[in-house]
Amino acid sequence: MNIIVNTMPVAFEAGDSVLVALQRAGLHPNRGGCLCAAGDCPHCLATVNGVAYVRTCQTLAQPGMIVESFPTDDYPHLPTNTQRGPTVSARNLHCDVVVIGMGESGQVAAAAATAAGKSVITLDDKVGQEVVGIYPELMVVARTSAGMLHIHAHDEVVVATGAAEIQPVAPGNHLRGIVTPRAAAHLAAKGVALGRVVVVESGDAVDLSASPTLNIIAHLKGQVLQFEGLDTLQAVVVLDENGHSQRIECDTAVVWLGLTPRDLLVRMAAGLKVRAVGDAAREADLPPCPDAGMVCSCSNVSAADLQRVWDQGFHEMELVKRATLVGTGPCQGVVCVPHMRSFLATRTAAADSSANPDIARLSKVQAPFTARPVVRQLTLGEVAAGAHHHATPRTGLDAEHRRLGAVMDRIGGWWRPWHYGNPLAEYWAVREAVSIGDVSTLGKIIVSGPDALAFLERLYPTKVSSIAVGRSRYVLILDERGYVMDDGLICKDSDTRYTLTFTSGGSSHAEMWLRDWAEGWNMDVRILNQTMSLGAINVTGPLATQLLQRAGLTQPYKFMQHGHASIADVPCRVYRLSFTGEVSYELHHPVDQSAKLWRTLMTLGADLGIRPHGLQTLLQLRLEKGHVIVGQDTDFDSTPRRIGMEWALRMDKADFLGKPAIERTNKTVLDKQLVGFEMPAPAPFEGANIMHEGEYVGYVTSSTYSPVLGKVVMLGWLKLVNGTLPSEVMIDGRPARRVDVPFYDKEGARAKA
Amino acid sequence: MPKLNYLPFTRIVATPAALDVTIWPTEALALRTAADEVLLLSSAPPTLVDPHAIVVPDSGFVGAWLPAEAVQAIFEQHCEWALPATRSVFVQGAVAGIAAKLWLEAERGLLIVPAAYGHDFAERTGLA
Repeated sequence: MNIIVNTMPVAFEAGDSVLVALQRAGLHPNRGGCLCAAGDCPHCLATVNGVAYVRTCQTLAQPGMIVESFPTDDYPHLPTNTQRGPTVSARNLHCDVVVIGMGESGQVAAAAATAAGKSVITLDDKVGQEVVGIYPELMVVARTSAGMLHIHAHDEVVVATGAAEIQPVAPGNHLRGIVTPRAAAHLAAKGVALGRVVVVESGDAVDLSASPTLNIIAHLKGQVLQFEGLDTLQAVVVLDENGHSQRIECDTAVVWLGLTPRDLLVRMAAGLKVRAVGDAAREADLPPCPDAGMVCSCSNVSAADLQRVWDQGFHEMELVKRATLVGTGPCQGVVCVPHMRSFLATRTAAADSSANPDIARLSKVQAPFTARPVVRQLTLGEVAAGAHHHATPRTGLDAEHRRLGAVMDRIGGWWRPWHYGNPLAEYWAVREAVSIGDVSTLGKIIVSGPDALAFLERLYPTKVSSIAVGRSRYVLILDERGYVMDDGLICKDSDTRYTLTFTSGGSSHAEMWLRDWAEGWNMDVRILNQTMSLGAINVTGPLATQLLQRAGLTQPYKFMQHGHASIADVPCRVYRLSFTGEVSYELHHPVDQSAKLWRTLMTLGADLGIRPHGLQTLLQLRLEKGHVIVGQDTDFDSTPRRIGMEWALRMDKADFLGKPAIERTNKTVLDKQLVGFEMPAPAPFEGANIMHEGEYVGYVTSSTYSPVLGKVVMLGWLKLVNGTLPSEVMIDGRPARRVDVPFYDKEGARAKA
Repeated sequence: MPKLNYLPFTRIVATPAALDVTIWPTEALALRTAADEVLLLSSAPPTLVDPHAIVVPDSGFVGAWLPAEAVQAIFEQHCEWALPATRSVFVQGAVAGIAAKLWLEAERGLLIVPAAYGHDFAERTGLA
């Protein structure tokens, strides 16, 4: 069985890790550095099957696996292919206690929790369950070969991950041929030839008698002063316990400096019920202060770099981390943190703290810095596992639009048809014949109750009491500052019940707005948001009434009148209004019957020249009528006066939301206004600057070419110059003229026909 | 997997006090979605003491009855909150990133989402 390493086959045996296979072949997965063979260090990282930064010591070799070792002078390049990677699934599990690590202390913890009647989930990287983080609300995320696990612990998380061996820092510690004692034993057991071995340790901890195949030529107590070699270790210089320096030629150096707890998961879980047990809870050993050599090979930080930032005044763990990026790489500080602590402890002790109060307040041995998820490199697929993008709602006609070949887009928070392939034909169908459009996205909210009138009277700037049952009125919705927040209709159903409509993007906020004020004013009303429950089809055009009569409309509706009717055997609320400038009826109906109603209307209107129209046409039609779209034409500080819609206010009402602000702002000098412009084609882009005598005076908010008028019509914000609105301006470098709106059918005769 | 279908609910908004004392029709499934709101699956209308209650037919939700194991599987894969141990029970929350409601009986559950999100929900959970 072979894996492919840098295009060459390399044999492996069943049960080998990729690292073992490489070492047995005399190869190193990385540039070099001490190997731990336990998943702690970054020195065995390689790219495996296209995934970079894989710990080869933790990865089981599989036939045909593609392994690319790190470049000698660079980090691996991340894949640049644009193909979507495999979808990674996530599985959510729930329990009382999660135990991470199933060594001796983990088993004891799990048994104790089970005996106490707790439900327990255990995780162990030795069986391929790599914990990558602990998150608020006690969620443990682990990677497995079958996908990600999201485990929700109700009581606590026990970290029993043991301790890592401290790796040496000395000149030459980047060479190949340096290992920890555990790695030496593991590699020897796997039949890896390590050649002449020198063991250097700080105490009496290393016992390699269980590894008889190791050719140990020297076993010393002391400290490594230098590793010598080019790419591969050739000799080690040791300061022994007697203070003598000796140089020993060797192929492998086994170095022991003590243990440091694997406590990253605990350090990222401050405030959560997470505790360490066993070696994960032990005190960290402190290695000798590093004076030379690579401290953090992940971020290429040397002992000299630590000294440099110390001299610059960075004396705390967190600050040294930020100044050097030490501890921020793939091993997350497992290798470098012990040496940082030793370095800072030594420098702090040696510093004249009386002259430097900043140093005086530091503890002698500083605690490791805060850890943060994730502690393992993840693919984007693994990060995204279980996450869902924000879903965009679809109307009951969504499938119908797509069947008709509509170009769909997300607009106003919904999937909506932009056009059906021929927007100009759609436009003329509305102006000259009949057309239907999907307006299901409009906000529709019922307000009912004994206080309904009083509530709406206080909320809206119009005189609600003057609306008759069965009639509707266009209204602005203002906030407390008198700014235009939304617009829509008030439709009176009975003396105690009203239906309110809002813009597509505004309905969710409108519901909260209504509920908030109803509660704040202690109004006895009930509120129901029907936006997603009712479909709505706009039947518009000079032949709209004729079409609806064919579909079952038995009585004529006056402009701004509404009522109930059965249209094409679908129960509808019929609203006579107009946003397009033509005769229009909105048919609000149960959303499960949208397709039936739509198709019947299309069939009945075939000989009338019916076409569906998309949003592109709707926006064109409304602009010809000068209708404002809140959010597009309005800004955050748009008052009714600024948008030229003071007619929608009843300032003689005792009160309404925003009235005091309107009264106050009306006393100030008008500085800008939303006005209409016209010019020859082509239409400038929306947002184009408006210039007057070389000065910026505003910008275009809506712009379209009007087929019926044969010119471009626009809305835009215009500053007053010397107290007046300029009549002649330049837009898009071309002359344009300010005109009154509406641009088309100024008397509204077509809509009211 | 079962398909999501429109559910013929009656939606009721009334004062919490009125809903508290309402006796729902026999065999009805009344889901209290909020203090002032109930989704009712019933062929008979309820008798409410609130004269201003809003009572409207509502086809704005889709759903499917699923075996309890299928509900469990969907929750494991798509939901960060745990299914309650009690039965029968009504719960609400994000499932597959979409606001969902679940009526859970011993052997089966009715999973409900707004029809406007039915397409995405089906795509994410396999309830085609």
